[in-house]
Amino acid sequence: MLKQLTAALALMASPLVAQDFSEGSEARSWNLYAEVPAKFEATVVDLLCTFTGDCPADCGAGKRQLGLLRTADDTLILPMKNSQPAFTGAAVELQPFCNQTITVDGLMIDDPELGANNVYLVQTIVPPGSGDKIKANKWTKNWAAEHPEAKGKGPWFRRDPGVKAIIAEEGYLGLGLEVDGAWIAENF
Amino acid sequence: MSLPLAGHAAEGTRIQVTGEIIDTWCYYSGVMGSPDAVVGSAHHTCALWCSAGGIPVGLLAEDGTVYMVLKVGEDDQTAGGDTALKLAAHTVEADGMLYERDGLNYLVVSDVVSDLDITNQNHDDYGNVPPFSIPKSARPQGD
Repeated sequence: MLKQLTAALALMASPLVAQDFSEGSEARSWNLYAEVPAKFEATVVDLLCTFTGDCPADCGAGKRQLGLLRTADDTLILPMKNSQPAFTGAAVELQPFCNQTITVDGLMIDDPELGANNVYLVQTIVPPGSGDKIKANKWTKNWAAEHPEAKGKGPWFRRDPGVKAIIAEEGYLGLGLEVDGAWIAENF
Repeated sequence: MSLPLAGHAAEGTRIQVTGEIIDTWCYYSGVMGSPDAVVGSAHHTCALWCSAGGIPVGLLAEDGTVYMVLKVGEDDQTAGGDTALKLAAHTVEADGMLYERDGLNYLVVSDVVSDLDITNQNHDDYGNVPPFSIPKSARPQGD
């Protein structure tokens, strides 16, 4: 009896065992050194709202950074990346589910030494009340709709007006056109 | 047009911090190389792409701490907005509120006290990262 009581008390006093969110994940590997598959239920939150109390009803229309408040342990996850290998973030993918609870599948990047804690690449989303998962790959389509003037060949990042304007002024290295030209001539 | 809702503010700490505005995905994921290679002039163009693409920008402080930037001055559009884009790879002195949650540091910058431009000129050490960030059309031999 005493043994059982001791065991029960020890269990209550011990820290919670970290949950394994990789179970059931169908995330595709990106061959990243610190990637860990993770599938979990979470509420989409506006991070500025969470911290400052400034809360537009649409979570910032895809222009603010969003968070995923995980249901299982109340951990706030930062979704940094969508599923496209194209320098594209996750806010546009998650914003339609502002303040809703969804299920996401993707890759956690776990490198505490570098400071990468609870940062995430979203690959798929299951909306509330639905069994159908959707791919988190709408960013480039959204960009094309917002920038009809930039229509053309090649990836979006070569055609983005804001990026092109800065490179035209500061160069690829960002140090001015003179430095850029000399370095390119010497190295290519 | 959406109406603002009342929210509950968390407790933050006012800080002044100096560091480089970085592309946090390349920095954390290692997808383009080591952390030292995905900052500064070597990574300027890629930092522009990631910022314009809505990937969170961070402030990499001199002690190695990364602060996730959620707002710069009056501009809350840190997922692809113009203010963050113009600061890509620049070293800035920032004054703002720090919120710590679940192992990450979130920074609401109230004021960029000074913009020191790009101070980390590391392109001679690492080249341009990734190599395709300077397109063939910009090279002497062209396409």
